[in-house]
Amino acid sequence: MELLDPTTGAAAQAIAYAPRPGSIEGKRIALIENTKFNSDKLLVKIGDILVHDYGAAGTRMWRKRNASVPAHEEIIEEVRKTCDVVVAGVGD
Amino acid sequence: MTIQLVSKRYQVADAADPIEFCFQQGWTDGLPVVPPTADRVAAMLEAARLDAKQEVGFITHRAVSISAEKVAINAVMAGCKPEYMPVVIAAVEGIADPRWSYHGPGTSTGGAAVLMIVNGPVARELDVNCGDNLFGPGWRANATIGRALRLVMRNVCGSMPGLLDRGTLGHPGKLSYVIAENEAESPWTPLHVERGFRPEQSTVTVMAANGPHQFYNQLSNTAEGVLTTLADDMRISGGVMGQPHYAVVLAGEHMRTIAGSGWNKADIRRFLFEHTQNSHAHLKRTGRMSAELKPGDETLMRPLVESPDDILVVAAGGRAGTFSAYIPGWGSKRSSQAVTKEVKRPGV
Repeated sequence: MELLDPTTGAAAQAIAYAPRPGSIEGKRIALIENTKFNSDKLLVKIGDILVHDYGAAGTRMWRKRNASVPAHEEIIEEVRKTCDVVVAGVGD
Repeated sequence: MTIQLVSKRYQVADAADPIEFCFQQGWTDGLPVVPPTADRVAAMLEAARLDAKQEVGFITHRAVSISAEKVAINAVMAGCKPEYMPVVIAAVEGIADPRWSYHGPGTSTGGAAVLMIVNGPVARELDVNCGDNLFGPGWRANATIGRALRLVMRNVCGSMPGLLDRGTLGHPGKLSYVIAENEAESPWTPLHVERGFRPEQSTVTVMAANGPHQFYNQLSNTAEGVLTTLADDMRISGGVMGQPHYAVVLAGEHMRTIAGSGWNKADIRRFLFEHTQNSHAHLKRTGRMSAELKPGDETLMRPLVESPDDILVVAAGGRAGTFSAYIPGWGSKRSSQAVTKEVKRPGV
């Protein structure tokens, strides 16, 4: 018997990572908040550590529309213009 | 029409069990599937007059294109009759719609299933159950149409349990979760007409949903009485802080009692919206809302949903028995909205 494959792979995409900074010192940090409870508090703590222990220049936080979608274009544009490093994550 | 199928083919030795082969490939939901042979798949496409390569939907955040051929293969495996294919196609269009926003409900720890509500002539023609044992087994259309959708989610969209389907608990509706509205006996405007379609059109409404919650009221002979019980059950349920959609499924006896009071679906929605609100104080005391209690929290009310229109009212279920059900939506309305798609049937 001959059977047909029911599966599909995702379309191939080229993904390039931004170069990693050698040091956080003097860098402007973007914090991307995913709207879940306490995610803002966690990111503030991480930002504080990056500023006080690693010499980052400062932090600014953005809030996604909801946890299930990528950061929207306005966030990406502003981060691109005003920051050097992004801290983001997904979690419950 | 000539059907050109492009999917990879697997030869299964005659002695080997093709059903077992499908299990071994990881293609099933845990139940045996109908082996997807070219003849069966072609019949499925033929019934919907679809070209194999036609794109039915594109899941942006997964970069996945869902072709008609892949839907057909999974519909065969689910046990669908070819005439079910247009309903499956409409459901796939629904979950691929940006408003449904696949990645959240398809992945979330919240464990949503896809509740499918079928309206219009197709429901009666395909014998989609709208009566006794509404959410239970016994009807091929209900059992296989939703199963086909879930197999597409698994095999095409990557919603594999434990990988990109991270439901903490999930629920049995993730196997299949299909109902029709009992338009023949309902005194109310059908759901699809409320959502902008004509009565003679056939539609599928997809809603990211938790499991059904049954409630019981054998005492009341008024709309207000029955709906007071329902509101009391609904008030704390599902993602009470998320403010998602709710589906309310009113079965025969309750339907007749509520209609007997002269209430229509808009009246039901308004009553439920007003009577399912929680005080901020209660939500904070019970660990649902963050922050400390403040003066005024006892009287500051938060509605269960953002608007009465977020409650979908459906007449369905057995004629006998003073039971009905409500179904909390997954997440929030900002994360996923119920979507209604027309079922396009060739020659209808």
